[in-house]
Amino acid sequence: MLTVSGLLHRFDTADANARAAVHIPELSVPAGRFVVITGPSGSGKTTLLYLLSGLLRPSQGSIAWSGQDIVPMHEGQRDDWRRRHAGFVFQNFNLIEEMTAYQNVTVAAYFSAFSDRQVRGKARQLLAQLGVPDEKRQISSYSRGEQQRIALARALVFDPPILFADEPTASLDITNSKGLAEQFQVLSRAGKSVIVVSHDPVVIGAADSVIRLDHGRLVALSSEAVA
Amino acid sequence: MNPFPIVLSLRHRQRVTLIFFVALITFAVALGVAITTQERAVRQGSARAADKFDLVVGAPGSPFDLVLASVYARPTSMGLVPAEDLARLMAEPEADMVAPIGFGDSIEGFPLMGTTAQFVSHLSGDLAEGQIFAHEDELVIGANVPLKVGDIVHAAHDALDSEEHLHEGSLTIVGRMARTQSAWDNAVVAPIEQVWESHGLLNGHAPTEEAHEEAAEDASDDHDAEAHNDHAAPVGPPFDPAYLAGVPAVVVKSANVPAAYGLRTAYRTSSTQAVFPAEILVQLYAVLGDARAIMSFLALATQVLVVAAILSGVMVILQLFRTRFAVLRALGASRGYVFLVAWSYVAMLIAAGALAGLVLGVLASYGVSRFLELRSGIAIPVSLAWQDVQFVLALILVGAAMAVIPAVGVFRQPVVDGLN
Ligand SMILES: Nc1ncnc2c1ncn2[C@@H]1O[C@H](COP(=O)(O)OP(=O)(O)OP(=O)(O)O)[C@@H](O)[C@H]1O
Ligand SMILES: [Mg+2]
Repeated sequence: MLTVSGLLHRFDTADANARAAVHIPELSVPAGRFVVITGPSGSGKTTLLYLLSGLLRPSQGSIAWSGQDIVPMHEGQRDDWRRRHAGFVFQNFNLIEEMTAYQNVTVAAYFSAFSDRQVRGKARQLLAQLGVPDEKRQISSYSRGEQQRIALARALVFDPPILFADEPTASLDITNSKGLAEQFQVLSRAGKSVIVVSHDPVVIGAADSVIRLDHGRLVALSSEAVA
Repeated sequence: MNPFPIVLSLRHRQRVTLIFFVALITFAVALGVAITTQERAVRQGSARAADKFDLVVGAPGSPFDLVLASVYARPTSMGLVPAEDLARLMAEPEADMVAPIGFGDSIEGFPLMGTTAQFVSHLSGDLAEGQIFAHEDELVIGANVPLKVGDIVHAAHDALDSEEHLHEGSLTIVGRMARTQSAWDNAVVAPIEQVWESHGLLNGHAPTEEAHEEAAEDASDDHDAEAHNDHAAPVGPPFDPAYLAGVPAVVVKSANVPAAYGLRTAYRTSSTQAVFPAEILVQLYAVLGDARAIMSFLALATQVLVVAAILSGVMVILQLFRTRFAVLRALGASRGYVFLVAWSYVAMLIAAGALAGLVLGVLASYGVSRFLELRSGIAIPVSLAWQDVQFVLALILVGAAMAVIPAVGVFRQPVVDGLN
């Protein structure tokens, strides 16, 4: 369950009258939901995603996941929270070129308490499940769809309750986009909260709820999310 | 937390620039290591080359010239120890060996040194090849002289030696000394009598040749090896005090240390000086020591500057990795972890350059030693001292400390900046 209240973020902290990049007085989303954030370019979608995932600290407000407010946390605590609770998928995958698919999936084991052994089985299973050949070859030799699925496996390897994604289908073809949207549905049905920034109709169509932003404000909300 | 897999993944990026940076550090460090090891090697080599020269007596003048001429076989024009002083030295009961050293002309570019068979065996022990000279027209050669036993050579006459004597300069090489690791490996050695006569001086023996036939065998050599020039007299001690000539240098080996000091005092007179080459070298090294300290400091300062210059380049490279660091942060890595990755990356770069520099520096030093050895005959033993390693470790330490600067930049970089 996500509860946002009085959320306001300004990049220019010096000017109190500057337009807020994000301003959401109230929002709550039940757990295990596939939510899409959409809206025109520059409307604050990415900023909102970063705020919700604790990558960016808001100027004001609270963001509580299952009742735990991440705003007052220290940076270190937020890193820790993110490692335990969140997975990330980016528009351009952001895989490490010099590592194999398997190494990319298990990269977080290098800085977490999980041992490589614990994640090993899970990593292989995810790659198989997502249909990515688990081979020792250059990341760039994988297709774009495969690369995004490797990134998805990386996000899921520690089985986080929340998955964040920013325009994950923007550089994929329609087939791969559909496949990824289906994965999001499967994950949310399995109880994960899936928060995806997208303007891709395929993704929007697959979502449980859609949040529409304009100039940093909520302008429309479909389904059961409550403003 | 294990930063190394990420650090290793970074090393493939900007490869050419990285290699260039490492190479710069390598060469800076190698230069420093080569200078310090070479300085020490020259010092040790030159000292070792002087080992066999306990006390050297010469005419008053520069003690450095005297040491250079006798120990290092680099004759310069010097005054002579008068024949009376030489005779007095030879009669000293405290002296185990008194070897007159004279300088003849050069043979094929190698200095011709005149002395006794006894001194040759003092320097070289048993000969490597052939036998010791027994007559005035015989020579032995140093280990590095590119001539053969049996070769007949002619001394190159300097303008000063206008007088021609017995042999018309035709000399036979009869033996080769074992390696002495000293400048005498690059010298040709003749009986002192040969040098005296070529200068038109008395030859140390009374004119009746037969009188010395038995005594000449003092130098433990094979008596009649070959048929020589019939009128070539046997050579070597005992010399007849009445027929001695002056010499530029006399090497004296005394029975014990107090005797050596006694002799040194006794031959510091108006007509002679007496020096311990080891002591002269110590004076020289004291001067060099200051130079070495300055050179070492300059070398380290240069290395630190190179590292500092490279750090600014590394900062630019790390900027190219900001997305990667941000992604790691997004995946849950702490600021401490990305700091560690950036710091290890820079520190390993510096350490790799420094260690490669240590190896290259020692190799270069060996190369320089080989070159100097070939030219001087003196063994220049390169050794890696703990002090050299300490210098390199100091640089790595300074580099590791400086690597904190770019790493702090990565530490403080907001995650969101890197993701955009
Ligand atoms: N670091 C920043 N500093 C200052 N302004 C920023 C920063 N990041 C974003 N902004 C501004 O905040 C607003 C929202 O940006 P954001 O990236 O969230 O938009 P977006 O909806 O994701 O757009 P797009 O669809 O193009 O990705 C924009 O006006 C942008 O210029
Ligand atoms: Mg965006």
